[in-house]
Amino acid sequence: MAASTNMSSFPECQVKFYTKQVKYSLPDSIFSVPGNATSSELSDLINALLKDWSEEEWKTVEFDFIVGGQLLRLSLQELLDKKEISNETVIEIEYFERYPTPTPQDSLVHDDWVSGVQACKDWILTGCYDNTIQLWTIEGKHLLTIPGHIAPVRAVAWIEVGDPISTFVSTSHDETAVIWQWNQQTNAIECVNVCRGHARSVDCVGVDPSQGRFATGSYDHMLKVWCVGDQEDGALEANEGEGSRKRLKNDAGKNKNRTPIMTLAGHNEAITGLEWTSLEEVCTASMDNTIRLWDIELGGMKSQLTGSKAFLDISFSRLNRSLLSASTDRHIRLWDPRSKEGTVVKCVFSSHVGWVTAVDWSPVNQYHFISGSHDTLLKLWDIRSPKAPLYDMTGHEDKIMCVDWSVPSLMISGGADSHIKIFKSEVVTEDEPME
Amino acid sequence: MEKTPEAASDSESSVYSDLEEEEDANTSDDASSSNEQESADSNNDKDSENENLKDHHEDQRNGEYFLKKNSEEKKVEQVEEYAVDSSDEEDLRNTVGNIPLRWYDEYPHIGYDLEGKKILKPMNSDELDQFLKKMDDPNYWRTVRDNTTGQDVILTDNDLELIQQIQKGRYPDSSYDPYEVREVIYNFATEQEEKWRSKEPEERKTNFIPQKFSCLRMVPMYADLIKERFERCLDLYLCPRERKMRVKINPEELIPKLPKPKDLQPFPTVESIVYLGHTDIVRSITVEPVGQFLASGGDDMTVKFWEVLTGRCMKTIHFNGKVKNVAWCPNTSVCLIAVAVEEKVYIINPGLGDKLVISNTDSLLQTPLEDVGAQKQQIISWSTADNEQWTQGIRCTVVHPRDVHQITWHSKGDYFATVMMEAGNQSVIIHQLSKRHSQLPFQRLKGNVQKVLFHPLRPYFFVATQQYVRVYNLLKQEISKKLLTNCKWVSSLAIHPKGDNIIIGSYDKRLSWFDLDLSTKPYKTMRHHKKALRQVAFHRRYPLFASASDDGTVIVSHGMVYNDLLQNPLIVPVKILRGHKVTQDLGVFDCCFHPYQPWIFSSGADATVRLFT
Repeated sequence: MAASTNMSSFPECQVKFYTKQVKYSLPDSIFSVPGNATSSELSDLINALLKDWSEEEWKTVEFDFIVGGQLLRLSLQELLDKKEISNETVIEIEYFERYPTPTPQDSLVHDDWVSGVQACKDWILTGCYDNTIQLWTIEGKHLLTIPGHIAPVRAVAWIEVGDPISTFVSTSHDETAVIWQWNQQTNAIECVNVCRGHARSVDCVGVDPSQGRFATGSYDHMLKVWCVGDQEDGALEANEGEGSRKRLKNDAGKNKNRTPIMTLAGHNEAITGLEWTSLEEVCTASMDNTIRLWDIELGGMKSQLTGSKAFLDISFSRLNRSLLSASTDRHIRLWDPRSKEGTVVKCVFSSHVGWVTAVDWSPVNQYHFISGSHDTLLKLWDIRSPKAPLYDMTGHEDKIMCVDWSVPSLMISGGADSHIKIFKSEVVTEDEPME
Repeated sequence: MEKTPEAASDSESSVYSDLEEEEDANTSDDASSSNEQESADSNNDKDSENENLKDHHEDQRNGEYFLKKNSEEKKVEQVEEYAVDSSDEEDLRNTVGNIPLRWYDEYPHIGYDLEGKKILKPMNSDELDQFLKKMDDPNYWRTVRDNTTGQDVILTDNDLELIQQIQKGRYPDSSYDPYEVREVIYNFATEQEEKWRSKEPEERKTNFIPQKFSCLRMVPMYADLIKERFERCLDLYLCPRERKMRVKINPEELIPKLPKPKDLQPFPTVESIVYLGHTDIVRSITVEPVGQFLASGGDDMTVKFWEVLTGRCMKTIHFNGKVKNVAWCPNTSVCLIAVAVEEKVYIINPGLGDKLVISNTDSLLQTPLEDVGAQKQQIISWSTADNEQWTQGIRCTVVHPRDVHQITWHSKGDYFATVMMEAGNQSVIIHQLSKRHSQLPFQRLKGNVQKVLFHPLRPYFFVATQQYVRVYNLLKQEISKKLLTNCKWVSSLAIHPKGDNIIIGSYDKRLSWFDLDLSTKPYKTMRHHKKALRQVAFHRRYPLFASASDDGTVIVSHGMVYNDLLQNPLIVPVKILRGHKVTQDLGVFDCCFHPYQPWIFSSGADATVRLFT
């Protein structure tokens, strides 16, 4: 069943299509396609084949194609030339359903700049420059305004989402991180602990996978690890020496103040991004042009990745165990923290025209991530297409300061236009686990 | 035979000077003189040789001597002959060289002979002998003493005639008639011509065959003139001379080898953040020593504090006058900023950054002042802020007699200096924050002070007037250097963090780099801006400096200072940063670098502050 769509003078290529998505699979056969075929033409071809093949009514599906590990964005020949693949051989082309276009779902208006956002399954938590934390439902209904800080809030993170009580943490310019408990039934909020210890604004926070600890990074160059649960008195005593300065203020006998269980110094400048990579490992991005991996168990630095410009954010994917860094040089870089030799930077994604302030991996797909930048764009990327993002999502009118992709179907960004923009997209997972 | 013209004329003159001497010598023996005379009566043969020589002269001299020829021919002939055979008589002649003979007056001898024995002076005859001689010797009257040898010489008839002729003011040679019309008739005999032809051209005594012409006018142009002149020129051209090493210089090589800007990364290249909020000219900006915050002040009578990374305005303080200058205290253990508003300098605690530092700063400033009321009438007065001001952040006010134009901190953060341009001798004042005390460092000040600056490491103080920068040693209280800026009006001044190099910007578009160890003149002057420079700045860590100008640009340059004292600083302009709009002919007013990152902030007349990274 040799179907040829050749009508031009371009050299033809022998191609073989395959897919990991079972519902779109076709029998093995070799096709001859013109070299100038683009992905939409190939997509039409696959659709025509599938239509022939299937018994039922076939609904047209947009496909994307991967040749030599890269997404087909130009014509087939151009990609082959770039990858230096001979068109004499049979080229294997993987196809899969194109990522569905994200649609703007909601826009949440705040009173001031939104600098931190994180969603969990039903709620969205945002940190705002008017010193408050806002709680919303995923549908965009405002639940609660929490005035707890005395300076702009920089970052928020859920610690544990329970029923009815959930806990989360917020960090602020006022040098503290505050642990909150929220009762969803009564919509009551309680400040559980105030974590004091940093000497400058606390700009990033990350909760460990076991949800028992969290780490904060600050402009004072320090990385501090805190305990979420009740602190043993002994631990308190032990930390009294170093933490005495930070525990000056006690709230009317009730000691809400908390001191870090660990302080890690090493960065020469502000820590701007932080992520737990495992139970014992935290990685931090800093303005001193380095990404460092810290061993929390031993309390020291494990390794260091050096860049050339100040980093602004970092994200770690549990699916492919790679790091993404956002930087002031407007590029996003993909790092493999495990490789010791050769280039640690696996890929550079360049499309933003301003500082990239935030990146976040897809929680379910090892290839996708989103990035937000000062150029007001939120971009969805596939790591197999480093030159062009899959989608640009417009909407913000000022700098994007934070992004979140914790809920697979929601891409959320917040920025200096005091808005949270929510984009909805169908969840695309891989049908097959990665090898 | 070829000689350079100079050499030829030299030899000529020497020949003639010899001539006279020889004649003297010749006349000493009378016998030979007649001989000479005879031979002088030219037989043709001899003359022809003479002619050869003569003609050569003619050739050289274009016949200048032509008329004298006859008489001189003979003499030349004599010279030639004499030069050959007079050598044995030389002993008698003077051996002492050309020295005054009176040196030998006290000695019995005069000079030495070849064996080194003294040559005795001839006996000196006394008066009586003289008289007897006079009576006896018929030649006495023509005897003279040759002073160089001490010998008596009897003059010949020829000599006498010569002397008489000279005395009469005539030509020395009586036979010479200057008005005589002469014909020149020369010709080779046949055998002579054959002989001439048989010789190699190089060996021929003359390079032409004499021919017979009735007069000089008839002599045609010498046929080989051009050729010979050409060969002569060729000889001159080819003759070996002092060898000059010609250095071949490729004009490209004269351009100094500068590294490519790409290799000098990092430096700011693109505009990243615009800090919007001011409503009028932003005159001055200053970055917190840690680099998290930025303060800016301007004509809209406010000072705004910004978060560097986000562009967020964190705080605004209003004043009742235009803000001329803001300067963050470089001491990281206090949190203070000095703001110049008209004739007041406000010391402000902005309350940004480390909370502990903020509270420490306040308690430091709340400590009561020592009793300084007794001080004799100060032109500067310090006052603590009232409650309203305190809530704004103002902690102290320093009132000056005139408008304050500049504030600059010492690197330790305790002292700061202010400049009042209109205050004459009192333009510069140094304040001490911890004692809240001010003093006038200079009794007299020459010129109109524009900017002042503390040396980052040593106790030096820079005072820039319109055309000079004076460097004062604060410890010794004396001037240590005076830098000649070569510009008309200095606008700004910045010092390298190591303290050995300063740059100045001027309103006549120039930026000059001074190496203080090298010279009091600029090491390098750059004219890259199209309009007046407003500010210059050095980076604290990176080898970068920048200049801001009214043309709306900031030019960033690489300025590497080496530890090796022998190596000159490397200066390469690397980037022109554009972004500010020129408003009412005013562009960028201030620029300053981030303390850690290779970033630069600039503020301008378009009411914005911009960050370039």
